[in-house]
Amino acid sequence: MFDAMQSLTAHHKGACLAYRQILEKLWSEQDFASIEALPFLPVRLFKHERLLSVPQSEVVKTMTSSGTSGQSVSHIFLDKQTSAMQVKVLSRIVGEFIGPRRLPMLVIDCRSTVANRLKFSARTAGILGFSMFARDVEFALDDDMSLNEERVSQFAAKNAGQPILIFGFTFIVWLHLLRWLESRSNSLALEQGILIHGGGWKQLQSQAVDHQEFRQRLLAVTGISRVHNYYGMVEQTGSIFMECEHGHLHASAWSDVIVRDPINFNPLPSGQPGLIQLLSVIPRSYPGHSLLSEDEGALLGVDDCPCGRLGAYFKVLGRIQNAETRGCSDTYT
Amino acid sequence: MTPIPDAVSRKIAVLAGSLSAISNKPVEIFNESRIEFLAQLSRYLLAHPASKALPDVVTFAYWCRHANLMRLRTLYLRDHRLRMGLGLTFHISPANVPVNFAFSMAFGLLSGNTCVLRLPRKASATADVLVQTIKTLLDEPRYLALRQVLALVQYERDDEISKFWMSEADGRIIWGGDQTVTHMRAFPCKPRSREVAFSDRYSLCVLNPVSILEMDKRVFKQFCKDLFNDVYLMDQAACSSPQLIAWIGNQEDARSAQTRLWPAVVKIAKQKYALQAVQVMDKFVQACRSALSGSHVQVIERHENLLYRMRLDAIDLHQDAYRGYFGTVHEVVLPHLDELGPIVNERYQTLTVHGIDNAFTREWIVRHQLRGIDRVVPVGRAMDMNIVWDGYDMVASLSRLIDV
Repeated sequence: MFDAMQSLTAHHKGACLAYRQILEKLWSEQDFASIEALPFLPVRLFKHERLLSVPQSEVVKTMTSSGTSGQSVSHIFLDKQTSAMQVKVLSRIVGEFIGPRRLPMLVIDCRSTVANRLKFSARTAGILGFSMFARDVEFALDDDMSLNEERVSQFAAKNAGQPILIFGFTFIVWLHLLRWLESRSNSLALEQGILIHGGGWKQLQSQAVDHQEFRQRLLAVTGISRVHNYYGMVEQTGSIFMECEHGHLHASAWSDVIVRDPINFNPLPSGQPGLIQLLSVIPRSYPGHSLLSEDEGALLGVDDCPCGRLGAYFKVLGRIQNAETRGCSDTYT
Repeated sequence: MTPIPDAVSRKIAVLAGSLSAISNKPVEIFNESRIEFLAQLSRYLLAHPASKALPDVVTFAYWCRHANLMRLRTLYLRDHRLRMGLGLTFHISPANVPVNFAFSMAFGLLSGNTCVLRLPRKASATADVLVQTIKTLLDEPRYLALRQVLALVQYERDDEISKFWMSEADGRIIWGGDQTVTHMRAFPCKPRSREVAFSDRYSLCVLNPVSILEMDKRVFKQFCKDLFNDVYLMDQAACSSPQLIAWIGNQEDARSAQTRLWPAVVKIAKQKYALQAVQVMDKFVQACRSALSGSHVQVIERHENLLYRMRLDAIDLHQDAYRGYFGTVHEVVLPHLDELGPIVNERYQTLTVHGIDNAFTREWIVRHQLRGIDRVVPVGRAMDMNIVWDGYDMVASLSRLIDV
């Protein structure tokens, strides 16, 4: 991992002028002798600057972040190689949780979310990304975001006796599947389902529940017992951190995580909350292999999760909170 | 004055004082009953149990204590000429420096005016203590007369209300930066009305490296505290917070002085400044962006995340476009103060100095025919509000000189 990260750092330094300038001016007197010592960019920088490490002519796809309302969006430039790497790494990570076979897939979303290919949002990217490991994709929601229980039941019946991959964004699963069924005192029989969800609570943060409660209530109304949350960002698409049976997020063989003290960016030991830095071997066409996120979290351990998976595991505590602004300008409220 | 239309008064909440008997009749500057009122306010504030935790309230209370007001009175009355207020002054006060409405009120009252102040909707402990204390005072029978000349009000952003007051006022005091000033200025005003507008400003600090190297330990310690206060107290977001640190001298002395100064300032920041993760993120993003665009940024020295020093190899003609927050200074070494002359425009407000003679600075300002720099103060005084502020003599601006 460290070798790969070191060589990516050297690659971007050579290929991206902006990246080189930042390294030379902000990291001038440091050597990159360990993975913790490698430089990192703030993920928000991709909202402000066009950063790429390949000629523009080699860009085959530009991804944009969803971004919270009112903010500018990130632009991530992909060449063929990086784009292919995203698919490869994602399939290997997900394969570890659902097995190597392609499964029938039920998307907790509506078809129109992916119909518009011009609006390539994180939601579209997620659904399309996961569809690649599936056969026979069905959508659980109608275009008005109402749950079509009949269609879901038929899909389950059609695939009786074999596992189904169920995929959705956390806040959509919560609102349009779990709460939908709870509020109508209905239930579905999806015992064979393996739910993979991610993307966080977004505007439903006030309703957020912990993973245990989420699992219990989902089990009650759908029968789904295998649930895996994942964490990741559009700036490192493909490189996701999956939640194991014990509710811990895991780094994969293609990624790593470091938690840093906001006061000095020093790496923090397990248990201490700080800013989450994500490392991924995927980004080659843009300098996004080492990014400081705007989320707070804490490492939980390395190599010793009861689930048996190796590597670092951690938890996410949430987005850093906005502070009050002070000063003289534009203060008429 | 024009009666307040129902449509306007209905939407206004009066926090202290009253609008029903408000009068636009001025009095002479430094009127005794007003000095007495403010001095009493000072006493009440200093005795207020909540004040202890609010240094800005204490600073205001200390400023309007009886002795200081009498000192100012002597200063303003020494030519024995007659000065009266304009009449009604309307104040738009700032949300982000909550104590400033109190200063604005004091300036208006001491200049002999009636003061109607719109307070920001944003709640703050500082505003609470000030408003409550002013209200308590105005409710006392001995200050009955003040109720005709002072009202603290609040209303939602509403152009109809602002327009009424802006059109009615003989003096308009607008805090809140370029946007607010432009917005408020669009309302019609009386032909004779005057305006005091506080727009966005830029401030800098000039240091003599030799003088810092020569300081004894005790003086140096105090100096570091002073500089810390200037830079960090308002998250470096106040108009008078220094943005550019210019060392005037040779490179070697400057380097030695920097080596002495900055670690000591960072040490204070570490103890006293509650840096939040979200602020670190803003700083870090901004530092990365400066590495790209700021062609004069040679290197960005990070002292943990408490202090970022953008070291420039030269100053930009538009240096005032490069601002920092939460402890981000731009730093340059120049052989002579003259090099700074060409970059100073009308946005420059406060020059904090150390180790440079005041007479020299005055001569420099005149010789370069500067349109900016309204204050020259020693390091440590950047945040001190005064009756002369932002280039305005508040009393002169808000009163008439009557030639008898």
